[in-house]
Amino acid sequence: MQILYINNDGSGFADHIHVDDGTTVAKLFTQRVPHGRTCDYLIRVNRQPATSDQVLQSGDRVSFTPTKIEGA
Amino acid sequence: MLFLRDLGETEVGGFGISAADDLLLIEDFVLVRQHCSVITVAFEDESVAEFFDRQIDRGLRPEQFGRIWIHTHPGESAQPSSVDEETFSRVFGRSDWAVMAIVACGGDTFARLQFPAGPGGSLSLPFAVDYRQPFTGSDHEAWTNEYLAAVQPEPDLIFSESSCLSMLSHAGDSSRTYSPLELAAWPEW
Repeated sequence: MQILYINNDGSGFADHIHVDDGTTVAKLFTQRVPHGRTCDYLIRVNRQPATSDQVLQSGDRVSFTPTKIEGA
Repeated sequence: MLFLRDLGETEVGGFGISAADDLLLIEDFVLVRQHCSVITVAFEDESVAEFFDRQIDRGLRPEQFGRIWIHTHPGESAQPSSVDEETFSRVFGRSDWAVMAIVACGGDTFARLQFPAGPGGSLSLPFAVDYRQPFTGSDHEAWTNEYLAAVQPEPDLIFSESSCLSMLSHAGDSSRTYSPLELAAWPEW
């Protein structure tokens, strides 16, 4: 199935990708951000906060965006 | 950028929007919701996510809107703090490239490009206004509204004097400093 995946790592990503049926948010994160820590990202599905065990559906919009952007 | 820097009494930050064919040419500066003091700025995570979604919906690529992090500093120095460096490394260190840009109230600027390719590296960039670019004009009302919607001053940390603007008070010989928002609220006399 196809989902829209948004992420700023690497060259940046905002495109439709294929994921297997039954893929969870946690599995997608591990696949796409293998060296990342979940605490460094706000993970949303369809613009709503998502749980790690949420199963993705065809057409979902998944974003991993940075957290704790702070300056001083 | 300068208007937003000087509008309130706190630091302010946002993302630069790059030209599609020249990623180091910043065509716009966009605020996200943030909590600010005179010496700190912290973006709301959900507002950052919303910002990303909005820019994607506009048809922009992440490299056009998520790579140039800009914020202001009080006083004269635009040199990054340890907090700035930690954020730049942690948040932007996995991107193919990113820029941390700082504009100090005194006019000093700082910009550094970092890239992780190969052994990784960074270089300082000149940071200046390109007056050759077309400009649709100032819109102080829209900029002020954007500022008021995004910037949440931290009350406990607001100093009584702005580090950016200074003018003599009309009340005696004190030299209290007023922000543009305060000035706008002054009655006519």
